[in-house]
Amino acid sequence: MLFGRQTKNPIKIVDKGVVDWKYTTCGYCSTGCSIEVGLNAEGRAVTSRGVADAPVNQGKLCIKGIFEHELFNSANRGKTPLLRERAIDAYREVGWDVALDHTVAEIRRIQEKHGRDSVAIVSTGQILTEEFYTLGKLTRGVIGTNNYDGNTTLCMSSAVSGYKRSFGSDGPPGCYEDFDHTECLMAFGSNLPEQHPIIYWRLKMALEKRKFPVIVVDPRVTMFAQMADIHLPITPGTDLVLLNSLAHVILKEGLQDRAYIEAHTTGFEEFANLVAQYDPTTAAAICGVDEDTIRHVARVYAKAGAAMSIWTMGINQSTHGSDGVAAINSLNLITGNIGKPGGTSLSITGQCNAMGTREWSSCSGLPGYRALEKEKDRETIAKYWGIDPEFFPRQRGLFMTDIFPAMETGQIKALWLIATNPMTSMPNIPRIKKTLQNLEFLVVQDAYADVETTKYAHVFLPAALWGEKEGVFTNTERRVNLVRKVMEPHGDSKPDLWIFNQMAKRFEQGRKMRFPETSAEVFEEMRELSRGRMLDYSGLTYDGIEKQRGIQWPCPEGAEAGAPRLYTDGVFQHPDGKAKLLALPFVDNNERPDRQFPFWLNSGRVVEHFHTRTRTGKIGNVNKFSPTPYMEMNPDAASDLGIEQMSYARLVSRRGVAVVMVQLTHCVPHDMVFIPFHFHECVNRLTLGLLDPYSRQPAFKQCAVRIEPATDQLAAAAANVAARSY
Amino acid sequence: MYTVHADENGISFVPAFKARPNEPTYALLPPSNGAQFNQWGKSIDLAHEKDPLAGDSLKINGSTAISANPDRYKQHGFHFTADNCIGCHACEAACSEKNDLPAHISFRSVGYVEGGTYPDFRRVNISMACNHCDDPVCLTGCPTRAYTKFAEYGAVLQDPDICFGCGYCTWVCPYNAPQLDPIKGEVSKCNMCVDRLEVGLKPACVAACLAGALDFGVVETPPANRIQAKLEIPGFPDPGITHPNIRFQQTRDLPREMRRTDSMPLVYVRKEAAGKTRYQPQVAEKPAIREWSFEKLRSREDPLVVFTLISQMVVGAFLTLFLGPLLGIEILSQKTHPVTHASLLLGLLALETFALALSTAHLGKPHRFYRAFYNLRWSPVSREVAGIAVFFNVLGLYTMLSVTGFFPEIKDVAGWLAAVSGPVALYAMVRIYRIKARPFWDHWQVATSFYGSTLALGPLAVALTYAGVLAYQGQAFSGLLAVLAWPMALGLAIEGLGLIAHARDLERRGGEAAASHMEQRTRFGRIYILRNVGLLAGIGLVSALAVTHAEGAPGFWVWVLAALIIVATALIGRALFYVLVIPTTMPGAFFWRNKGFEEHARKTGLAKMPQVGVLPEAH
Repeated sequence: MLFGRQTKNPIKIVDKGVVDWKYTTCGYCSTGCSIEVGLNAEGRAVTSRGVADAPVNQGKLCIKGIFEHELFNSANRGKTPLLRERAIDAYREVGWDVALDHTVAEIRRIQEKHGRDSVAIVSTGQILTEEFYTLGKLTRGVIGTNNYDGNTTLCMSSAVSGYKRSFGSDGPPGCYEDFDHTECLMAFGSNLPEQHPIIYWRLKMALEKRKFPVIVVDPRVTMFAQMADIHLPITPGTDLVLLNSLAHVILKEGLQDRAYIEAHTTGFEEFANLVAQYDPTTAAAICGVDEDTIRHVARVYAKAGAAMSIWTMGINQSTHGSDGVAAINSLNLITGNIGKPGGTSLSITGQCNAMGTREWSSCSGLPGYRALEKEKDRETIAKYWGIDPEFFPRQRGLFMTDIFPAMETGQIKALWLIATNPMTSMPNIPRIKKTLQNLEFLVVQDAYADVETTKYAHVFLPAALWGEKEGVFTNTERRVNLVRKVMEPHGDSKPDLWIFNQMAKRFEQGRKMRFPETSAEVFEEMRELSRGRMLDYSGLTYDGIEKQRGIQWPCPEGAEAGAPRLYTDGVFQHPDGKAKLLALPFVDNNERPDRQFPFWLNSGRVVEHFHTRTRTGKIGNVNKFSPTPYMEMNPDAASDLGIEQMSYARLVSRRGVAVVMVQLTHCVPHDMVFIPFHFHECVNRLTLGLLDPYSRQPAFKQCAVRIEPATDQLAAAAANVAARSY
Repeated sequence: MYTVHADENGISFVPAFKARPNEPTYALLPPSNGAQFNQWGKSIDLAHEKDPLAGDSLKINGSTAISANPDRYKQHGFHFTADNCIGCHACEAACSEKNDLPAHISFRSVGYVEGGTYPDFRRVNISMACNHCDDPVCLTGCPTRAYTKFAEYGAVLQDPDICFGCGYCTWVCPYNAPQLDPIKGEVSKCNMCVDRLEVGLKPACVAACLAGALDFGVVETPPANRIQAKLEIPGFPDPGITHPNIRFQQTRDLPREMRRTDSMPLVYVRKEAAGKTRYQPQVAEKPAIREWSFEKLRSREDPLVVFTLISQMVVGAFLTLFLGPLLGIEILSQKTHPVTHASLLLGLLALETFALALSTAHLGKPHRFYRAFYNLRWSPVSREVAGIAVFFNVLGLYTMLSVTGFFPEIKDVAGWLAAVSGPVALYAMVRIYRIKARPFWDHWQVATSFYGSTLALGPLAVALTYAGVLAYQGQAFSGLLAVLAWPMALGLAIEGLGLIAHARDLERRGGEAAASHMEQRTRFGRIYILRNVGLLAGIGLVSALAVTHAEGAPGFWVWVLAALIIVATALIGRALFYVLVIPTTMPGAFFWRNKGFEEHARKTGLAKMPQVGVLPEAH
């Protein structure tokens, strides 16, 4: 054995000199990992680690969380408010008073001239729940526009809509712990290893202890599909057909839970009549999954003692997203798999606080899962806020995806964007760019000054990041977790809560209402408004949350712990207390490949990207794994077209053109390409984004393109470099 | 977690790594299963209790703590369940975060191979760092003795404070474990997280794994729920080279052919032999091209192209000058042309000084050049540097005495010493390139090339110098040149024969060797032909000149032409030697660890954004 030096030198290993660890919750996705940020003696954030005893992540973090402390000093953070009269002028740095006075003056001017709803507000799933609540109060109670929504319409509104239609309310009924009890898991359009690696780890650990069948429905052979026992490579946009057919087999073979259906659901007859039309032979021809496999999967799922379904954007981002969610819910209702350990319909959400906005932002109604359509809810909130209930609209206004067309044609003149970047995230970007240029006034409130929307904005308000403020997030299993302030806000940036409060003060009505300064005081209002409701927060306190590393609602005052599951008693939120089985006919309205545009265009996320890369694109050790736009393409298809590995190809759709680098792989079929969707000037130049009739969520993942080799490779490369600063 | 020893006064030592009281169980080091020997028959126990190597503190960051882990002196290693890896980068990220690495280097990398067709498609991700080998070629190769294999855990650790950045360890390692940072000018690598091990925790990468793929413990002790401890998986280089301490589980069947996504022209093909299934590297489908690629001839090793050629020429020229008169070529003696003789010697000395300066400047930390001699016992680099240094010094002494006329007896001794040490130093130089992880180099052709260049370039330098002087003096030079032409022709012929055998053997060996040869015939196809034609032309021309005794201006200029061809051929040949090597490294990913993408990013300017993780050309 060789040992080299006999007198060993001392060993040096990097020691970041952490003197203090700050508890917080990860600000990327909705998994809800508890994270500790280490500060050194100079008070700089130098490291991150998973909280060892956190129920969600048990000490683990994914690549993004591991480097989350680097966000505090990442490039191009907004430092100071910027203002300009016209979008063609240069920005000038101004103080907060100037920026906010100007913003409020413009909003009031435009509202006075064109009506209250001529100003739209589009927020996010990224800020703290207390901030969502305050923004809701400002929008619904002070500014009074009904054209108010969040970017969650791009990711989760189908899940919200499907839950509401089936169960009478939003709110995922299951939890991660269900993996430890389930006997069959079916994943629809969800690639956990890439999108939610910590949730995948929870599943994997459950599988290591106890094997159960895992079925993955996805048109691509994702890592999850490869790890599954059964992979159903479905034709894009046809999940509803598969789901109806699974229900068909279950009912035909008498595998349903008759007692549960009888006791807890309505609409069975219409549902049964509808699914009767979706025999596996008919369904197979549409959805591309053979009839024997459909029958087999239906039997495995129905016969499992407890079976659960999870889904993500593969279901949500389609023209039948809401129907798909409702159909998944129905599948679980007819097999008695709601509200029991291992049996659930669990939507795997996208953003860190998508749930927070759903619960408290008043985007789709009023705080605490209240509806504008209900008089009682309007009165409760109006009274609590101290305003006239008549100030509230009686119906929710436009969704984000309808707000843009209204801007296009001039009904909406001003837009306030908060922590969202439609210049990259919306479908059909050529149209979005034109639309944004139509605005009289655009305010962008974001942590990054280089977010692409600032190109057309009049005011830029620099916001503090996650970890520069205090408050709560709710994760995908309803767990409310705490973000402690780790660092002071960067430069002169301010927490969104401060910005909303400062805006409120500048309106007469805002001065009359109570806008608490601290998150803790706002949280108290939320606790009060949730008391006795499904999402009962009354048992939650910041310290209690930190102590338990997150608590699942409902958690009524006095409860020791939160509730892991909803609907355990089979009582649902529809007025009759029952869940609805919905008859959902499939209508194929997708743009399908044809002779002119022969490829399906599919899109999705990769683990090292988040949210148009404004954050991840600046952290080298995260970004380097896919630093520039690319597409996955089948090698046989590429060879037919003379396209080579690592060359640039040109994609053409009916909307626009994109140039990307080619990665040849057999994980996509011959007639499909896949492009990660967080690159600016990339996949969304091509997408159509037909809207779901219920959720108004765009079908990002189903449209048709033509592909050509880029004739001038050097020019293509140069254009790619020019198109991005990160 | 293990308790930490207290000293005799009961004062406990604070370990370097501050573990939490509630570290999760998956992060805790499991005990050994008691196996005594590894699969190569080596003892897993690295030191007994009474061994002088045992019982010491690792002195991590000044801590004097000693772990009470009973397995502390057992060889540890990674265990990788290839069935499970999802390529989520958590291991790489945790490693880079803990070690505070810039984006352009990483101690651990995940690459992958893919096989099958849609939807019967499989990707195998491979997460790889240092394997803390039984036979650490980095340790033996390093001239500065920056590496130590510790009896504690069997960790092979490298000390960047000793390293002078020659990068030789990055050549010899089959796994791309040592990382040369061109900005810092030093190598660093995986440290097995010995600070964590000392407090009973698995390395950071393992604790971060999100798929039940990467694990760690005493080698040959498979982790819980794991049934295999295989020595290889597809894409992993031949473990026979270094006896790496990594074990694999790979139970799921894979397609027959697994392809790489990076630009290395290799695929891994299943071969059944003697009841064993192995995936062997083979050349990927050959592109039907034949290019010049002159711009790709330049590389980080350009200084070595010049250094090796000059050193070989200087040795050859000295031998010609020193042995010539002894063999009866009186015209080369000091007496006949004292000024030319002295000038030539001084010129050779100056050239070698330049070459040495160039090779020193090529180091990441040139001011530490003296450390090159630290590992004469093992490192071919140390021996080469020592050999060249001896040759250089005795050549200097010989030159000085020769010019001044002092101590003629010592001068002769110095001359003989130089005549012996020169070829010996070149032999040491040859040995540098006989690297198993670089199959393109690991062939006796290196010797024919280096000695061939010595024979061709040395006499050529002498011949041209004297021809110039003689022609200037109006004397005949063809006689001398006709004699010196034969070693030149011989040198070129030896090099040519070596190349023929080399090409044949590369094809026969397959894998990375054949892939290098394919690159040689395709991407560099035209240059390759040019070089081969150059060699033949050189042989032809000097032979013809020798036979014809061409004299006068025409003779002189044809000699100059021959010299240009020989020198250009040598430069091209040596440049090809460096750029064509395809190491037996791990497969990369599509962007990260893909040479093709790195080149692209540099060429197009993407590399100017630091977060792309590719350094703009540093040299």
